[in-house]
Amino acid sequence: MDETLVRLLDGELSPEERMTVEQQLAGNALLRQQYDSLLATKAAIRHFGLQQQVGQLHGLMMKEFNAPVKKSSPVRKMIRYTTAIAAGILLLVAVFFAYQYFSLTPEKVFSANYQAYELNTSRGTTTSSPIEEAFRQKKYEQVIQLRDAGTVPDIKNDFLAGASALELNKLPQAQQFFTAVIEQNKTANTTILKDEAEFYLALTQIRQKEYAAAVLVLEKIQNDAGHTYYAKVKNGLLNDVRKLSER
Amino acid sequence: MEVIRNFPDSELVANIRSGQRMEDTIKAIYRGHFEGLCWYVMNNSGSRQDAEDIFQEVLVSFIELVQQDKFRGESTVKTFLYSLNRYTWLNELKKRGRALAREEKYEKGQVHIEMDAGHTIANREGKAEVLRVVAELGDTCKKILLLFYYENLSMKEILDQTDYESEQVVRNKKYKCLKQLEQMVNANPALRETLKNLIHG
Repeated sequence: MDETLVRLLDGELSPEERMTVEQQLAGNALLRQQYDSLLATKAAIRHFGLQQQVGQLHGLMMKEFNAPVKKSSPVRKMIRYTTAIAAGILLLVAVFFAYQYFSLTPEKVFSANYQAYELNTSRGTTTSSPIEEAFRQKKYEQVIQLRDAGTVPDIKNDFLAGASALELNKLPQAQQFFTAVIEQNKTANTTILKDEAEFYLALTQIRQKEYAAAVLVLEKIQNDAGHTYYAKVKNGLLNDVRKLSER
Repeated sequence: MEVIRNFPDSELVANIRSGQRMEDTIKAIYRGHFEGLCWYVMNNSGSRQDAEDIFQEVLVSFIELVQQDKFRGESTVKTFLYSLNRYTWLNELKKRGRALAREEKYEKGQVHIEMDAGHTIANREGKAEVLRVVAELGDTCKKILLLFYYENLSMKEILDQTDYESEQVVRNKKYKCLKQLEQMVNANPALRETLKNLIHG
């Protein structure tokens, strides 16, 4: 019976066995006393174990609480704060540039640099060609039709047709007209609307996401200090397009 | 590196009841309450050493009360610990013959918990006797009994931690050790009484 009581103490009896033993315990004071004795013994072990564990952890915790806190010298503190501030600034700069880099789009670059071409109006001058007149009135489709109807190639007409095509977002056509302006100038060794054609060609290429071609044109402009759009290109446009081409 | 975290009361109590993660739980109680409880003892005529001893006693009592379901969650763990601390320390002062009413600086109006388990908490000498008797057991017996009854390991797990050749041999040894300790306990009626209070409160 003694072993059965130990098995009850250890929770090793089946439910049926347990019920039987518990009934016996309820009706037998001596047996109950024997079981209480085992319970007391188990309680002694558990109390000892708990006391031992708390005692061990107490030592550990006192070490943790009494661990010396390292004190920094004022110079070290200053260096630490300065480094922290510098790191903070660096981080802000990095975030700023990262934002600039990732928020850059061809549309943004185009809009920031594009300005619709305007024809000069000289006081007292009344002789405007039909194509110029149509351009002034922003009849861009008509400008392109008039240019296409012309039999003799004309640099100015080609440029106005290019500017019109760009306004109408007919990008391949615009590119074709601006290229024609550049080629004709090269052949005739002239510079009529050449700077304008190069700049607008680059903008057209940016919009078409042809960054490599745009970079070539913009580099050419940047290398020419006398170019009409030199300042604009040097002040960021070329860099922006390079960033776009890297992505 | 050890990750230090605080446990909410519910988790503390659940861990103690189940016996799971006892080490982390005890550490969390130290981190959360040791300084406050120490402060009370040291501000009421106690030394730092007194405060540390009382804290350990309070912690053991708290764990045993939770395991006996005597902490019913009617107050927070913090309030309960502070009341235990106060109760244990005032008893200790009484034993030392101090004029408690004059010396106690404990704030009036603080929540007071009725200690329905006074025996469990106060019997300092009886508990010391329990420790002394168990300590008298041989090392092997202590180890097997602690692994089985305190750490709740199975016979197989105990076999892995000892040099015995089979689970049955470990079981026989554990039985003999238990009976040996039982005899030592029964030979000491005062100890039986203390243990009875530990079980039933």
